[in-house]
Amino acid sequence: MIDSGSEKHLAGHPFDRRDFLKVLGWSGTAVALSGCGNTSIEDGKETVVSYVEAKDYVIPGVAVYFNSTCAQCDAGCSISGKVREGRVLKLEGNPDSAINKGKMCGVGQAGVQHHYNPDRVREPLLRNGDKGETITWEKAYALIAEKLAAVKGEEIAFLTGGVSGHQKVLLGNYLDSLGTKNHFVYEAVSPGVVRAANLKAYGVEMPRYRIDKAKVVLSFGADFLGAWVSPVHFSQQYAQFRRGVDGQRGVLIQAESKMTLTGANADRWLAVRPGTEGILALGIINALGTATGDVAELVKGYDKARVSRDTGVEPSNIDKIAALLKLRSPSLVLAGSAAEGYAHGSQNAAAINLLNQVLGNVGKTIEAPVSVPFPQMSPAKGNTAALKTLNDDLAAGKYKVLFNVATNPVFTAPASYKFRDNMARAGFKVAFAHYLDETALQADLVLPLDSAMEDWGTSVPEYLTEGAQINIQQPLMERLHPNTRGLGDIVLALIKQRRADEYKGFDDYYGYLRGAMLQNKGALGGGGSDDDNFWNDTLSRGIVKLAGPSASLNASMATAGLKLPAPVEIDEHYPFQLIPSVTSSLRDGRHTNQPWLQESPDPLTTIVWDSWVEMHPKKATEMGIVEGDIVEVTSKTGSVKAQVYLFPGIYPDAVSIPIGRGHDAMGRYAKGYGVNPFQIMDSVFESATGELAMHETRVNITKTGQRVIVVKDEGPAGGMQMGRKIAARVSTDQVDLSKEV
Amino acid sequence: MYRFLRLPILLVGLFMAVSCYAVNDSQPTLTTEDDLGPQVAQPIEFPHYRHAGNRNTVDPTNSDPTKGGMEINCQYCHTYARRSLTAGIPPLQKCIGCHQNIPSVRDKPRIVELFKYWDAKKAVPWKKVHDLPDFVRFTHERHIKRFIEQQGRPVQEVCGYCHGQVKEMVTARRQKPITMGWCVSCHMKEHVVAAKADIPEGGTPIGKQAYWYTFQKPAETKNAAGELTAKGPNDCWLCHK
Repeated sequence: MIDSGSEKHLAGHPFDRRDFLKVLGWSGTAVALSGCGNTSIEDGKETVVSYVEAKDYVIPGVAVYFNSTCAQCDAGCSISGKVREGRVLKLEGNPDSAINKGKMCGVGQAGVQHHYNPDRVREPLLRNGDKGETITWEKAYALIAEKLAAVKGEEIAFLTGGVSGHQKVLLGNYLDSLGTKNHFVYEAVSPGVVRAANLKAYGVEMPRYRIDKAKVVLSFGADFLGAWVSPVHFSQQYAQFRRGVDGQRGVLIQAESKMTLTGANADRWLAVRPGTEGILALGIINALGTATGDVAELVKGYDKARVSRDTGVEPSNIDKIAALLKLRSPSLVLAGSAAEGYAHGSQNAAAINLLNQVLGNVGKTIEAPVSVPFPQMSPAKGNTAALKTLNDDLAAGKYKVLFNVATNPVFTAPASYKFRDNMARAGFKVAFAHYLDETALQADLVLPLDSAMEDWGTSVPEYLTEGAQINIQQPLMERLHPNTRGLGDIVLALIKQRRADEYKGFDDYYGYLRGAMLQNKGALGGGGSDDDNFWNDTLSRGIVKLAGPSASLNASMATAGLKLPAPVEIDEHYPFQLIPSVTSSLRDGRHTNQPWLQESPDPLTTIVWDSWVEMHPKKATEMGIVEGDIVEVTSKTGSVKAQVYLFPGIYPDAVSIPIGRGHDAMGRYAKGYGVNPFQIMDSVFESATGELAMHETRVNITKTGQRVIVVKDEGPAGGMQMGRKIAARVSTDQVDLSKEV
Repeated sequence: MYRFLRLPILLVGLFMAVSCYAVNDSQPTLTTEDDLGPQVAQPIEFPHYRHAGNRNTVDPTNSDPTKGGMEINCQYCHTYARRSLTAGIPPLQKCIGCHQNIPSVRDKPRIVELFKYWDAKKAVPWKKVHDLPDFVRFTHERHIKRFIEQQGRPVQEVCGYCHGQVKEMVTARRQKPITMGWCVSCHMKEHVVAAKADIPEGGTPIGKQAYWYTFQKPAETKNAAGELTAKGPNDCWLCHK
């Protein structure tokens, strides 16, 4: 209480800051007192909606789990969705799957944010000038029929991401009914070059890598813990690898120009001059000294001095790696996106595969893949060459109708493609879309798709692990928005326009899928059980495991045509090599509108919600650049501005900008955050496969004079926290590898 | 103008405002006194007294709905209570399950209304009578296991600790404060637990876990009535997860 003296004193004076604070204090106390018992209880205001008819297993407050398949990337992890009161709440891994064995990654966890995303397209939209007008599905289908009737089959093109399973079959039949063969399967980030090199070296596009069986893994830029092929599976293999075979803890060596998450976990990380991965591989073969015949002839010129000069790797390191590889067998050598992203990417990958063969790893840590016994369901693998072809065809005016199934090439094609303009040359563009992304905005008709948690489907992942399996995708809950449709349902409705008789028996895609699965019940392991039992069993498992045929590996070494170019001299106008990095959370940018992924810190820089230009501190000091400086990164194609982050894990003559951000559409969590490195990417292509060589862009860095505070989760620079050192740092040349082994 | 902003005036104004607010708001009590909530209007005036009330012992046919009930176990309809956090409102299916076989009341206005919902396959939009703030995790299951299953007390009595004499009501009305202080007042009481001889590990009443919180540990000696007692759990995180 205020005593009378002070009250009098106050009364005679103007109301000052002290009084104000006192009143503030009193009012705070008063509000706190009255707040007791004043809760958010609203008796009689809230409605409790009970079920009309409830299944026996439905108990309010108790979750039920349904098995399905994660659709966030193409790895095909099986998931188990926690569903309560008809709402999917969280996703877990399905332990029965040989791919993810009950585990999940952050991208998969964010799947619920794809489903509940407020920016999903909810109604079919027809272009009316600059606006999209809501129309009915009947009208949309009628419009498509009308447009298709006016064009020839070869004037229709389909652009999709990787597809497999029954959707691929149905889509294939639809394309067939239209009389078109123009199906372009496009993935902005795909191991297209490695697939081609593997086919040459091993006779298969994607063998099974057994990191868990290897005693040494030498990875040339394969970020298998972060974003490469099947990261959840590889992470588990990696754990086994670190636990060790025969009591020997596996040693991981990562050679790349920009440190990836896998590189950060390596025992030895080697900064390689961009594009010289193949030279290093040949140098190691030379240093091993075990090669004979053609191979010995090929690597003759790659002595340590030359390899070291070309790659920037110390000669002593080459010796150590060779010694380690000799000492420990089997080992495993991986070629990743850093090696394949150049005009001579195939050559790089071939040299790396050759190293595997010289080491005798084929058949030991590189195993033959398995495939499903239904070749029509096996995946159509996406690559970037497909988009190049489509783009050229569009520019030539070959197509009058373009269907785009949830890919976003306007965002992921290099600016020099001018894809947006070329797309406009197709008279009628239909986009099957989850979001109004950059590509959907260019369409004339947008058809809203169900989320992966509302849709039916089957899929066969490209990278199968222990045995063949077909993954089942089933709705975890009712549609959130009544007017979205599943891809299968839309294609089924469209194919009925052409082949009504053949498909009249199927009311919806669910019926089609069930029918197709039951037809092959015997082959799917359900012989002898009754239809309903088989179907329910399949759905509850979420996976159909099959004994699939296994291909055989070709172990012969082929050196023909293997020729690596000398490293590129530094161009004075564009002194830096641009490395567009694939981060473990954003990948190719299709999920940028899921705020968890924007929010989860990049594993190496801890930056959130923004792009950055990664620079070597030494180079930055030379140029007078500090962290947070906004720089302009200029290539022959264009320029972007972003904040600088100094990071020693990058080759000094390279800079890196992550892919995935820089959307100018798609939704509230994606639009306007960061920059898109595809906009400054030069159109250089891999010479053997025609894939986009994503690492071939050279750039110049100029300061703009602006500076910002980088929003990141890490502590103050120097790695000290409250005076406590977080991790001991020893530079790689001071590490005695023999002691590590 | 600043002369009007003198501290006394401000304080008086402030207290008046707060008092008005406080008068309007019911303060929690630490007792189990009845604390009637508002009478909530429901889409159908469901007569709890007729379903759960005591039978009319005078009339063997028990036909007068104003005098006798059916003595139906609470858990027959509120079947989720023993299985889940929430007691839940029974699915409409449950009402119909019985009522399609009771033609005698089929044309009563409430039943007609009920069948209208059923025919339209629409859920009845019942209003919530007992509500807890979102930061409170209360579980029905645990309480039912403790008092009905483990101690074998009568169902209506146990439900009534918190819900009052629902068997005498038409639509349910809140009778207890259901505030934290009120919850704690019961958790502070000495409740009978099974003797150590019954649970060799000396576990908690539920699940026979061999683990007691210090404050909950039953007294070493029996009370005057020859019973072993312990207090209810009292950790913050138990309800505020």
